[in-house]
Amino acid sequence: MTKWSMVIDLDKCVACQGCSMACRFENNTPVVSPDEAALGRSIFWNDVFPLRSEEESAIASGQAKFLTRPCMHCEDPPCTKVCPVGATYQDTEGIVRQNYTRCIGCRLCTVACPYGVRYFNWYEPTWEESLERHLTPDQIEGRAVSEGPSIRPKGVVEKCTFCVHRLFKERDRAAAEEREFRTEDFVPACVQTCTAKSRYFGDLDNPNSTVSQLAQSRRAFRLLEEAGTHPKIIYLHEG
Amino acid sequence: MVRQRTFHPENVHEESILAPIYKISSKDLLLWSGLLIILGVGAYAYFQQLISGLGVTGMNRPIYWGVYITNFVFFIGLAHSGTFISAILRLAGAEWRKPLTRAAEAITLFSLPFAVASIVADMGRPELVLNMVIYGRFQSPLIWDITAVSLYMFSSVVFFYLSLLPDIALIRDRITGIPKWQHRMYEILSLGWQGRSQQYHRLEKVLDWMAIFMTMLVVTVHTVVSWVFGMTIQPGWHTALIGPFFLLGAIYSGTAAVVIVLAILRRVYQMEEALPIDLFNSLRKLLIVFSLGWIYMMIAEFLTIFYGNIPEEMEVFWQKFTGDFSVIFWGMTILVFIIPLFILIVKGKNNIRWMVIAGVLINIGMWLERYVVIVPTETRPRLLYELAQGVYRPTWVEWAITLALFAGMILLYAIFTRFFPIIPLWETAESLEEDEQKVATRRQRIFGQRIQSRIKKEHDHANQ
Amino acid sequence: MGSNKSLSRRVFLKAAGGVVGASGALAVGSNLLRSLLQENDGPVYLRTSQEEEIISTVCLLCPSGCGMLGRVADGNLVKLEGNPMHPINLGALCPKGQAAPELLYNPDRLTGPLKKIGSRDSGEWEPITWDDAIRVVAGKLTQLRENGQPERAAILYGETRGQMRQFLERFMASIGSPNVISHDSLNIEAAKLGTLFTQGIYDLPVYDLENSNYILSFGANLLEAGRTPQRMVSGHSYLRQGRAVRGKVILIDPRQGITGGKADEWIPIKPGTDAALALGIAHVIIRTGRFDTDFVHNYSFGFDDFVGEDRTLHKGFKSYVLENYDPERVEMITGVPATTITRIAGEFSGNPPAIAVLPGKGGLLNGNLNGMSAAMAILSLNALVGSLETPGGVLTQRYVTCPDWPEMPNDDVAERGRQQERADGAGTLFPLGNHAYQAVADRVLDGYPIEALFLYDANPIYEAPGGGRFKDAFEKIPFIVSFATFLDESANYADLILPEPTFLERWQDDYIEGLGYPGVGLRQPVVEPLFDTMNTGDFLIRVTKEIGGSVSKAFPWDNYKSLLQERLSNIGTGWETLQELGVWLIPGYHFSRRGSERWVDEVVGKDRKKSPRDGRFDFYSRELYCLLEEKNDDLLAAMGAGVSGDELFLPHYEAVVYQGDEKEFPFVLNVVTLMSLGPYSYAANMPSLQEISGMVVGERWGSWMEMNDEYAHKLGFHDKDQVWIESPFGRLQTKLRLVKGMREDIVNIPHNQGHTAIGRWAKDRGVNGLEILNPASEPFTGLASYTNTRVKVYKA
Repeated sequence: MTKWSMVIDLDKCVACQGCSMACRFENNTPVVSPDEAALGRSIFWNDVFPLRSEEESAIASGQAKFLTRPCMHCEDPPCTKVCPVGATYQDTEGIVRQNYTRCIGCRLCTVACPYGVRYFNWYEPTWEESLERHLTPDQIEGRAVSEGPSIRPKGVVEKCTFCVHRLFKERDRAAAEEREFRTEDFVPACVQTCTAKSRYFGDLDNPNSTVSQLAQSRRAFRLLEEAGTHPKIIYLHEG
Repeated sequence: MVRQRTFHPENVHEESILAPIYKISSKDLLLWSGLLIILGVGAYAYFQQLISGLGVTGMNRPIYWGVYITNFVFFIGLAHSGTFISAILRLAGAEWRKPLTRAAEAITLFSLPFAVASIVADMGRPELVLNMVIYGRFQSPLIWDITAVSLYMFSSVVFFYLSLLPDIALIRDRITGIPKWQHRMYEILSLGWQGRSQQYHRLEKVLDWMAIFMTMLVVTVHTVVSWVFGMTIQPGWHTALIGPFFLLGAIYSGTAAVVIVLAILRRVYQMEEALPIDLFNSLRKLLIVFSLGWIYMMIAEFLTIFYGNIPEEMEVFWQKFTGDFSVIFWGMTILVFIIPLFILIVKGKNNIRWMVIAGVLINIGMWLERYVVIVPTETRPRLLYELAQGVYRPTWVEWAITLALFAGMILLYAIFTRFFPIIPLWETAESLEEDEQKVATRRQRIFGQRIQSRIKKEHDHANQ
Repeated sequence: MGSNKSLSRRVFLKAAGGVVGASGALAVGSNLLRSLLQENDGPVYLRTSQEEEIISTVCLLCPSGCGMLGRVADGNLVKLEGNPMHPINLGALCPKGQAAPELLYNPDRLTGPLKKIGSRDSGEWEPITWDDAIRVVAGKLTQLRENGQPERAAILYGETRGQMRQFLERFMASIGSPNVISHDSLNIEAAKLGTLFTQGIYDLPVYDLENSNYILSFGANLLEAGRTPQRMVSGHSYLRQGRAVRGKVILIDPRQGITGGKADEWIPIKPGTDAALALGIAHVIIRTGRFDTDFVHNYSFGFDDFVGEDRTLHKGFKSYVLENYDPERVEMITGVPATTITRIAGEFSGNPPAIAVLPGKGGLLNGNLNGMSAAMAILSLNALVGSLETPGGVLTQRYVTCPDWPEMPNDDVAERGRQQERADGAGTLFPLGNHAYQAVADRVLDGYPIEALFLYDANPIYEAPGGGRFKDAFEKIPFIVSFATFLDESANYADLILPEPTFLERWQDDYIEGLGYPGVGLRQPVVEPLFDTMNTGDFLIRVTKEIGGSVSKAFPWDNYKSLLQERLSNIGTGWETLQELGVWLIPGYHFSRRGSERWVDEVVGKDRKKSPRDGRFDFYSRELYCLLEEKNDDLLAAMGAGVSGDELFLPHYEAVVYQGDEKEFPFVLNVVTLMSLGPYSYAANMPSLQEISGMVVGERWGSWMEMNDEYAHKLGFHDKDQVWIESPFGRLQTKLRLVKGMREDIVNIPHNQGHTAIGRWAKDRGVNGLEILNPASEPFTGLASYTNTRVKVYKA
């Protein structure tokens, strides 16, 4: 079984936020107003921020180390466990997904996630005037299902899906071309755009994949390993 | 239709207990309409929230839960008053409880719907509330919550109604000069209660059984409520103590609420005799015990965290002790523990006014305690970084809805007292007799004898 | 008693059973309800657009010029990806490029040509047709030519790509005006002049980061801003983790920033003293004899003392540096410990290939010769260790060869006009300068007559230090045309606005710069232009046709696209391939041997005008000597030269002349460009970029000022205080943010906020630090004074 995973080399990452923007335009996350942003209601499925230095609470732009943070797609996700309606779930390939149609907006998953990767639609997402034209038409649909870049109603939780709609698309493409789907066919938008080429994506179950190889690196670590969530985002230390 | 003969217990306070039912005063209407206005404002606020989205609240990322969830926990806590007084004390055989069982149970009954309303108010998509039933996953603590709370609500209604049954029948038979519809209502609700000894037997038996069930529920419900937090791995929440701590706090605030309610009833409906000062003194002792229990839990909780010195736990710890929430935290400690304990020990004896002050402080403090358990943790999530350090300022919408929830609860309570006896006539009647005998454990037999002797007497009378 | 107890235990068990039973019933009920309400799960599928195509183009949200592939779904541009064929970005895109659809579909764009009604600042406009606009512009230019004053037409331009710079120059030349004024004096001109006066190339050096072992960056914020941040980021990644041995990066800058945070070492330096540090490092390298003797002795000039044509002994670089820049003295100047200087010198010379990198915008524009001289000193370090034209060293940019422009037709009016003094004083007032963009305001106010001004990607009111003066200058110019896409600060004062489509809707070529080898990218309309806009190239060609005569003969093309097709006919591939791939390049940098023919023709000395093109790198700048030889020492001193004699022509350090007394104004103001908003005004109106703008300090949608946190606490400031920043030229109010990674004596304000126009998201948001910078130009080079303004800070 494929186990999708991402490796992020922090030695290469320069905190440019290209990933955040690629994600926004791939997944139709809305811009929120300045006031909303000041409240912390911005939606960046992949966020970039300075990590806090050990003791200081003040921001250290220089000395801070930066972190780019998509969903960890934990192997044992605390969020899917607590969802009362199964709106968020882990699919067979390890991607933690979110069905907007079923979500009731209780936000138990958002408080359960120790990484803060889950975002809530405080208002109806809107795009001013002609900006609506750049919205991605890709939508994952089904009976009582809407996922991925589908426009969210207000009051639901959304999150990084590893661009699962791209996986659908690549599978469809492989089928149309009458060939086997290859794991290399699929990368999320953030991996594709990464300016520093610091992101790698692939199948952690395949010992020969780049991600499996890099996961063996002495520089490899995962966020909050002690939390027992077994993230499938593997970071590589600087240096 | 030929009416069967009914039997009612005699109660010396019957007149004063039933007095509030006779007429609805203009003061009542004033109170009710005041509360309705608050409810209206709350409804307007909720309408705003429904139309625009939860953005109208002060919640944000990462403070996803705020005042609404605080209200939820608080209402559940209040709800514990009734069950504690009537179920646990029933099992413990504390006879003094009898006059205040109904007043306390009514708090339970009228808190729970507003606890549920708090949850609905907090939902991003309340229209999909049924999804919890359709797609409910039993792995989710929220479903445990829903299950426990609905079961609790259902059982409370039954428990309450059963114990009300003899009194409804009494009103049906004794009260005159009330509108026809009201009389009809009592007829329907009394389910043809006749007050036969067998019926009393069964009733007592059922209530005993239910008391056991309710006692378990009381523990379960509040523990489960706490587990919504405790089952996450967030610092400050993920502790085994959170269940017992929530439970104790709930009983503490619930009991304090009973003090307030009783004092108001005593004053407003002139029930000084039916609600003697001894009752308050008994409650005072309970409150002292609970407050000491509460501080014990506090110390156990925070000393463990402090001594362990785990960084992410300490972040939340300092938020409470010296950080953004220090005012609320220390204010809460003073309100919940320090002042009430002083009042209760030094001033409270035989002094209802001081007791009420203590009760009010405890309840305000307990609300703050819920708040300070929920919010600080969210401001310092495990993965620390600057952008995630939230600041939470509730908006008018949240306050309006909160006030409306409390107004709704008070309104239901106030209306209830005008239609039903808030002191159980039949239970107090019995207990008065028993007081003389001082044999609590044998109450059932004695009670039965008393009724039977009366039936015999009446039978004899008829024969004559 | 006992029976009672057992009873209650039984009761308890029953009740407990009841609880379990109830829960079970609920679970069963839930399942039942689910099966009733929900039929079997249907298939989950992807729904997407009907039609889709991928069109290549080239980004223009910073000067990098990254290749892009636009995904056009049902006629809408919905996503951009990096073009993997493009060597600058190799398939990657930065946040600005990713957000570019917000530029295309921006609701605040100008939708057609506009003509001002009423006074200059009336802010009222009426639509005008393109034909009328062409007639008006052609009429104005014809009138100037008929009056014999074609030099009174001027164009201020910002970013010109590919052929556009030469096109504009040709256009103005055909009209007869020398006034084609670039904004380079606001940013890269110091570095270009430094390169010209040493290496003899009027261009930016190219750094072979991939193969270098040691990067010594002098104030170059490689990873956030500069000329080609995207190329630097890719190079940095490769240097770090793409090869067996990880290269080292050192940043010398008063501000740490992201580049310093990522660097192996950050050396905070007193602002404006880079030249001293570079020379201090040179001192140690020379003293220890660790320089490239072959290069220094055979391919450089002025290393040792020499006797010139004037038969006097001139001081050479070696003895000058050894005499004046011992590490202890440099420590006093720069604040960098002597031991660090010595160590860095050892590392730099001991880890070949090593590169000393020049800063782009800001760092060097000090307001006196020091800025350019620092560039010369830094380049001299590269020469000392022989990094010029070596793998892992400094390369020279090559370009694709284009056919020669057709010969300019004879035109006496134009010929005479072209000989006139330039409006910005470059070459006259500023003897070393090629462009003095910011000086135009003062020159016009001092009486230089401009009668028709064109603004191409130029917004001087916003982007020039003290740009407010341009408002007054514009009052004196009777006819102003702006080609802006948005109604920006300067366009507000124009008489005509002739909006150019965004870069996603127009034809334009793009030289690939930053890798050394030649290449071109092609910008093409990803979607049909949304509005009634016109490519400025097309517009000007139509204007020439309207003017007719020799002017129209100089432009034998139908439109700008056909011009491009002709100009790019020799690149080695056809138009269709270029259009499809979006890029064409001749990869692989061909190093030229020292002293070879190509070395002389292409690498060293090519652009010298007055001094010998002998393939020698000038430690002692002969070009500078020739340009200034007519001016005596007194005159030079009067112009503000801090040194005299040979020192003037050697890389040297002279103290920055600051505006504002150090006691009263304790901080040096530094306006920094961020990765998020970039250098171009219109990016400020892209809401997604605003939302990520201040990630480094957790700010969004606005300005802030950075100050060293410990020092700020000493002064009684707190994080997020509202403060005034006051310079001798004005004051601004913004939010104070305390950071660790910076020196105590500087404050930073991020660039590209504080707009008063452009659109709903840019307007009235934050402050523009440039407003309170010294508006003066450096008297030799005409460079803008970017970093010689002192400020004080106090609570609002």
